[in-house]
Amino acid sequence: MSDSVIVVGAGLAGLTAALLARSRGLEVRIIAEGRGSLSLSHGCVDVWRDGPLSGAAGDLSPHHPLRRAGSAGMQAALDEFLTLIHAAGLPYHAATASPLRLPTATGSIHQTTAAPFSLANGSLDETGPIHIGRIPEIRDFSAGLVASGLRSRGVANVAVVDLPLPPAAAGRDASPQRIASRLDRPSVREALCRDWAPRLRGVRRLGLPALLGLAQPAAVLADLEARLGISLFEIPTLPPSLPGLRLEQSLRRLCTARGIQIVEGPSVRGEVDGRSAGRRASGVVAATAGGPRRFLADSIVLATGGALNGGWLGFASGEVQDSVFGLPLDAPADREQWVTIDPFEPQAFARFGLRVDSRQRPIDPRGRVYFENLFAAGGILAGADRTREGSRQGIDLASAYLAARGIAG
Amino acid sequence: MTTLSTQVLIIGGGATGLGVAWDACLRSLQVTLVEQGDLGQGTSGRYHGLLHSGARYAISDPASAVDCRRENRILRGIARHTIEPTGGLFLSTPHDPPEYPDRWLAACRAAGVPALEIAAAAALQREPLLTPRLARAFEVDDAALDSFELLHAMARGVVDCGGSVLLRQRLVGLVSRPEGMLARIVSLTDGSVIQIEAAVVVNAAGPYAGSIAAMAGAHLPLALGKGTMVAMASRLTHTVLNRCKPPHDGDIIVPVGTVCILGTTDTPVVSPADLAIEPWEVNLLLAEGQAMIPSLRRHRALRAWAGIRALHRPAAGASETRSLPRSHALIDHRVEDEVPGLVSIIGGKLTTYRKMAEDVVDLVQGRLGGGRPCSTQHTPLPLQSARFYSVGERLRSSPDRAVSEADPILCECEMISRSSLSQAIRASGSADLDDARRDLRLGMGPCQGAFCAYRAAALVAAILPSAPADGGLAGFARERWRGLVPLAWGRGLRQLDLLRRVQLELLGAEAGGDDR
Repeated sequence: MSDSVIVVGAGLAGLTAALLARSRGLEVRIIAEGRGSLSLSHGCVDVWRDGPLSGAAGDLSPHHPLRRAGSAGMQAALDEFLTLIHAAGLPYHAATASPLRLPTATGSIHQTTAAPFSLANGSLDETGPIHIGRIPEIRDFSAGLVASGLRSRGVANVAVVDLPLPPAAAGRDASPQRIASRLDRPSVREALCRDWAPRLRGVRRLGLPALLGLAQPAAVLADLEARLGISLFEIPTLPPSLPGLRLEQSLRRLCTARGIQIVEGPSVRGEVDGRSAGRRASGVVAATAGGPRRFLADSIVLATGGALNGGWLGFASGEVQDSVFGLPLDAPADREQWVTIDPFEPQAFARFGLRVDSRQRPIDPRGRVYFENLFAAGGILAGADRTREGSRQGIDLASAYLAARGIAG
Repeated sequence: MTTLSTQVLIIGGGATGLGVAWDACLRSLQVTLVEQGDLGQGTSGRYHGLLHSGARYAISDPASAVDCRRENRILRGIARHTIEPTGGLFLSTPHDPPEYPDRWLAACRAAGVPALEIAAAAALQREPLLTPRLARAFEVDDAALDSFELLHAMARGVVDCGGSVLLRQRLVGLVSRPEGMLARIVSLTDGSVIQIEAAVVVNAAGPYAGSIAAMAGAHLPLALGKGTMVAMASRLTHTVLNRCKPPHDGDIIVPVGTVCILGTTDTPVVSPADLAIEPWEVNLLLAEGQAMIPSLRRHRALRAWAGIRALHRPAAGASETRSLPRSHALIDHRVEDEVPGLVSIIGGKLTTYRKMAEDVVDLVQGRLGGGRPCSTQHTPLPLQSARFYSVGERLRSSPDRAVSEADPILCECEMISRSSLSQAIRASGSADLDDARRDLRLGMGPCQGAFCAYRAAALVAAILPSAPADGGLAGFARERWRGLVPLAWGRGLRQLDLLRRVQLELLGAEAGGDDR
């Protein structure tokens, strides 16, 4: 029997770690209490906002998760991810020399390393006029803010075009997620194009809120572009964000297709192997509806996420602990130092997490591993303010890659 | 420079200032009110929402208890739409002195404040989250008072009577002349300066009243106290809860809208800007609240904020402000400082604002020569909308059907539709989403603006040409964040991370996005 792995957490880091471990011949099971936070994600791969990682990697603190991967490790992780996501039917476009520059819902410019084609089509490095579609039924996206924001940032030639939804697409509940599902049907796309075509005379490149299909977005995009004869791109909206949901669904489908079981719902507690004098973790105990259930494994990956996801918990007493094994996190005991008064400034709490060794195994302050078969990936890792750095998915992928390699030995 | 003239100039758009303006209008005086921020941006808006029955003060300050009892009844008559008649309970828990309730009950009787003992089991039936270890329980006539509604109703009344309410205008100079007072006012929106001549100036600037008096050469020593409050994300009680013990920090819980508020602490501070909240204050409020609702800590704390109460301190000595009498001080600077045109009104509580205003206008009218009696006690305030909480009620009463594609809900927590938000933005002309928050409770519910702020910013940008490029999103994100910071642990910290990830990572809000 091959070695078995339990991955705790089903966000981008957990799903990727599971798939990469599986492709190294391991038996993998995912156990997740919630669904991760891909529904809050723009769906792109942010590695380093200000440009290629190779320029920044040397300046990072030794405990920064990307420093451990280095730019070569990051590139290898990204390549494996691109292969996976292509296999899952959601091809991504990766930037080469300089980052992709994409519009956001507030009209700012999002610099990123890789994006699904529907978003990458919105690259602001392509010249020529852009139109942003104003869909009055949708409250979670404002074409006006996009256009005025882009103009104030020096993007010329942006106009707004009114595009009310025909009833077949709007339905009774005009949320981007529901509309996206409707657009998976060819008949709805046909109705939409019939209605919109006359309004799109003179439009060559059209930006829309991200709602162009949920199950087969690549096919929906190609079909709409062909029918309308224009180039289309998407801009992520308020959660649930379609590009993030598509990424989640694609990776989950791939997990299932490759024999990775996903156990959903239970919260889990780590179990220490008494026979190894506490050097190893034996598995996890899941609080299932039928009572506690033990899942044993040779290796365990914590992909439980950061503050938002509950990968660690900060208590009123000032203690901060990982939520599965209760490992202490390095954090100031004075709660007042956790958060600063301005969300746009660096936040100490964002850097809380587990420190790991070169194989992604959590280590204590003196550098010793807690358990020789426990690994960590993604938001639970210490040392990075992902929101500020624009490094979230880069860390997820690089650490998942290193963890899978660390397990495979 | 424009020079306006008025009989009475009132400084401060809180409950006291507006109360004075409304009372003076009803006595046919010509009034102008100047406020440096928005209505209720100061102490009146940073308040726990309790309309006192008087029972709280029965022992410590019987005169205030009598005032509260009387004003409570008057306000129920003239401002019904701002009051939710929740009733109140005084609870003696095992943490409280067992001999206190009898002494307190006798004091309530002496002050004429109704207080009725009920069985502990009956209190538990009414509020199931209460501690089962209740020793005794008493019903009183407390209620929840929406101060923003009250202030808006008075401002509307003043304007309808021909008075002026000038917002975002700051007093920068005040001179006493033989013929009256001359005030210099700067607009905080466009920097323009006007002068206002007034026979009498009423200084109702709360914590700023000392510096206002100083401009005119008058002396007004104040004791400032910071009161911190914490809003819990759900309405854990439908009745105002009071600890039956001597007044102390953290002894009340008030249901307000969809949330409930734990109040308050009392710390001496030096400046009106000392609003920073310290961890011990939040810990104390949660711990004290837990004595009444043991499961309190399992619920999410939503937000913390602080207000500054100003009390008159005639003699030196930095004592705790809670032990100073809460009753108000009316200072005639003609007597004290030979500034005949200046009157200051300090202290008091929201429950008794009307009585304070009556005293002020009696004095002012004496100065101006006139003999009309006060009529605020039986003149209903202009009706605004009433928005009290009950499941389904707001959906039913919403004139614009809530689930309508033509008029979607933009703020789900507080059920604010697109049409009502655009109405508010058009009416105020303000691109500041924080003003819409005070008008409609935008972003005050569990999401704290993580989701609704973007939709609201888009609407502001569409309506107002003067709006910043991001519709004010960055500024509102900062403002909401500030109130979450003192509660940044456990689920509060998760909420902070959510707000930051949605707004900065997903929507791309940028620090300078609201620069004009």
